[in-house]
Amino acid sequence: MPSEIATIQIEVPILETKRLILREPRNADWEAVRAFSMSDRSRHVGGPFNEWQAWSSLVSVAGHWAIRGYGMWTVEDKATGGVTGRIGIINHIDWPEPELGWQIFEGFEGKGLAYEAAMAARNHAQGSMGMGPLISQIAHDNTRSRRLAERMGAVIESEGEVRGTPCLIYRHPAGVA
Amino acid sequence: MTPTLTTDRLTLRPPKASDHAAYAAFFADPEASHFYGGPLLPYQAWERLSADVGHFALKGFGRFVIERDGAPVGGCGILDVAGWPGHELTWWLLPAARGQGNAQEASRAVLAWAGDALGWRQVETHFRDENLAARRLTESLGGVKQRREIFPDGHARDIYAIPTRAEVTA
Repeated sequence: MPSEIATIQIEVPILETKRLILREPRNADWEAVRAFSMSDRSRHVGGPFNEWQAWSSLVSVAGHWAIRGYGMWTVEDKATGGVTGRIGIINHIDWPEPELGWQIFEGFEGKGLAYEAAMAARNHAQGSMGMGPLISQIAHDNTRSRRLAERMGAVIESEGEVRGTPCLIYRHPAGVA
Repeated sequence: MTPTLTTDRLTLRPPKASDHAAYAAFFADPEASHFYGGPLLPYQAWERLSADVGHFALKGFGRFVIERDGAPVGGCGILDVAGWPGHELTWWLLPAARGQGNAQEASRAVLAWAGDALGWRQVETHFRDENLAARRLTESLGGVKQRREIFPDGHARDIYAIPTRAEVTA
């Protein structure tokens, strides 16, 4: 039979740093996304979530790339091939503007990996994608994320709110570092 | 390659950003979206839309948007949801598009596509016991009850298998 497969293609630039690869979301990311989304580690991004919500987050990140032309990369550790998190540009329909956001998975904190990935993502977004200067919306008590934003040179611009939860809006420096 | 399916009255194509109005209208209606986790706020409907778009991107199949007379009136397709059984035939329709055989017409196109393009002999579907419309439609498509399971949301549902190339007459 003739086959015509209806599908959607996403084009995701692959970014490489010293220790990491930022690549497209894949089905194979499921276990890592599930573990993060269902754990307390996701409390600052609206979690913890149930399994259906975790699954929805995996596919909707791919949908975000298709709809917006940018989105969150899956960050892979070159040494082990493990998925260390998701980092990139988030612009949901109720967002004030595109945001640089990150999710750091269990076991990958405290090594500077988040900084390395976030700088690569920001440089690409504010460089070849011509975006920004980007914001990051961070809960007041999310000290780890605030430290990361500040290390990147972002400064508090205003008070904001994400879906009813107050947050700080950080503004990143323009351009490429 | 034109990624669409066509029937006498309908066009089925992958979802896109401009479908948000139809998704938001459907999910804002508590009665219409009752069996679909609704009602939902517009941003939650946007997440459903993003998920449907991304499902096509990650898996190569998914839930199409149904267009009639050039306007989106619902969705129909096949989902593979982690933690839920099988490749699931699923559909939704805006209230104004119900009662006209649209779900059945769209489902037949999707079943033919699943058989021809994806090479599957059957798909599954499931629904709450009180969803009589879904049961009637499933049976009209040649669906046969396989088993009953308790789902992650705590509800028990009958699971039906539906042949993709069944010579079922309307």
